[in-house]
Amino acid sequence: MRTVWHITKRIVLYIFLTSASIVMSFPLFWMISSSFKTLEETNSPGIILWPAHPTLDAYIAIFKNIDFLRSYFNSVFYTSLSLIGTLASVAVVAYAFSRVKWPGRNVVFFLMLSTMMIPPQALLVPQYVFFNKLHWIGSFNPIVIPGFFAGGAAMIFLLRQSMAQIPVELDESAFMDGANHLQVFWEIILPLVKAPLAIVSTFLFVGLWNSLLAPLIYLQTISLYTLPVYVSTLYNINSAVQPWPTIMTAAVLTTVPLMVVFFIAQRYILEGVVISGLKG
Amino acid sequence: MTLNPYFEVLFTAVLTIGFIIVTSLGLGQLARFIARQVGASKRHQENTFTGYAFAAPWIVGFLIFVIVPLGYSFYWSFTDYRVTENTPPNWIGLDNYARLITNDPGFRSSIVNTLYLTAVGLPLMIAVALFLAVLLNQKTRGERVFRMAFYLPVILGFNTAVLLAWRLMLNTGTGIINQLIRALSTAFPPISYLNRGIIFVQELISALFLGISSGKFTLLNRVWEAGFPAANRVPMWVESPLWTKMSVVLLMIWGCGSMMLIFLSGLNNIPRELHDAADVDGANNWQHFWKISFPLLTPYVFYNLIVGLIACLQIFEPIYVLYRDSQPLVPSTISMVYYLWQASFRNFEIGYGSAISWVILLIIMAVTAIQFMIQKRWVNYDLY
Repeated sequence: MRTVWHITKRIVLYIFLTSASIVMSFPLFWMISSSFKTLEETNSPGIILWPAHPTLDAYIAIFKNIDFLRSYFNSVFYTSLSLIGTLASVAVVAYAFSRVKWPGRNVVFFLMLSTMMIPPQALLVPQYVFFNKLHWIGSFNPIVIPGFFAGGAAMIFLLRQSMAQIPVELDESAFMDGANHLQVFWEIILPLVKAPLAIVSTFLFVGLWNSLLAPLIYLQTISLYTLPVYVSTLYNINSAVQPWPTIMTAAVLTTVPLMVVFFIAQRYILEGVVISGLKG
Repeated sequence: MTLNPYFEVLFTAVLTIGFIIVTSLGLGQLARFIARQVGASKRHQENTFTGYAFAAPWIVGFLIFVIVPLGYSFYWSFTDYRVTENTPPNWIGLDNYARLITNDPGFRSSIVNTLYLTAVGLPLMIAVALFLAVLLNQKTRGERVFRMAFYLPVILGFNTAVLLAWRLMLNTGTGIINQLIRALSTAFPPISYLNRGIIFVQELISALFLGISSGKFTLLNRVWEAGFPAANRVPMWVESPLWTKMSVVLLMIWGCGSMMLIFLSGLNNIPRELHDAADVDGANNWQHFWKISFPLLTPYVFYNLIVGLIACLQIFEPIYVLYRDSQPLVPSTISMVYYLWQASFRNFEIGYGSAISWVILLIIMAVTAIQFMIQKRWVNYDLY
């Protein structure tokens, strides 16, 4: 009796998990399926899970849309530039907080942690005025340059936790051999924190790629728009008919890089290295 | 000077790197100089130099992008500064704050809407995350695939593209969600009653919140007098002021994957022996969860609550993408950050926007502080 009960429980569990997974991934499926539909099919009152005659019209049209292609390039360009700068500076600062003993380290570290409580939006207004004074409005500068100053306290914290776990003897023996801090940082510490670096890069990439508010405020002209800003203009709030196949095609192409990055990095993220610093 | 925008930012980036290197060396030298003055050892001086030089990017960025802006916005919040005019800011004392608190229906709505998201959305989100975590903790085959499916929405997040996919699904007439509700309601009558019950309760709660923000409860009366919804009713997701916030809640629940991961690591940290001991005493699954797992998970619930609360206070993208400029809907859904954006970057009232920023900042700090104060009453750290 006990085994029958046990098997039933397992089956119910699997049914639950599978249906939850389907529900969670359904928006993605619907996005892809709608991108192959015609306008009539997206507006039809019936349930069309997959179009009977999938059409590539929307894809052909969007690859001829110069504004979309340019905003795609803009997104790739600004994301990579900002990612490189942020990652490099975050790693350097994490090194200072974990591998060097200097007076005031704890005070500065505590200050850094407390900035996590400041919502970035609360700084938007004065930063806007500041960038306006520099004549940076209408350029990529305001959305790229601040990252170079180790933007993201949570990322510094995550990397610091991993770097702090590396035994000190490693550095000491390198210093004995006459290495300096830059060499130890580059040749010893960085190779040992590859997994945390992968996680940090993933989070930074996702944050930059999805970012809407700052590009919206600073870019101003359509030739500079990044994908989220451009895609939001495809949807006209006050119009009765939306070009859904076009919007969904743009949506699919926008999410492809996110999916690729997630599939590469998922084994690091899902193992929960992220939360190793939470306890205590 | 018109420069190609791509070269312009590359050029600025190179300049910035130069600036960072110079300030790092400068700060390091300064720190070493001070260390030498107070008579530290040679080795200590070197460490001081390295530490400050390596931490300089953050320290300098903190000064330029956090401290100075906070100082300026604090000053501007007492002025009538507008960035479009070339007049210097005039000191108007507490007028901005007074207007914000006593005489601004938009700001009032944004606070009440945020309250709805935290009071209705956040508990649902935490409950779903906890439920999924408990299911996944049963050591199933293919756990990796399930985890990926549950976490993927976090990565897609509030990307405009994904929000628009939701917009398509949430169409009242032709959207797939309502089509499924209609199909299931026709096929199984109990689901129809469940659907209508949920609609009724949701509309009552929503009308109550709308009443609080407008000061008039006529809508609540209308919903109450209309009584139990008719059989053909479906949720009016993004089209009725009664449902706009619920659509955002739906999006929040969809993105509960990161909370789920945190609960999973919490469940993994529970000592196996506790469950074994309970088995000996003949505890059932229900007791296992409420008597052992849940009390030990309270620190994780607390953590998720804080992080979720702060995230709720910062919601912007869904409101902008789904409801911007849609006049009848905007008051029912605007968030505080959306309101900040509207005041500062549409009307360019920098002084007023600064006051809003400071109120948001103070609310977030107060909420976190209160949470930390009351957590002792219910969070259980004993076994860690």
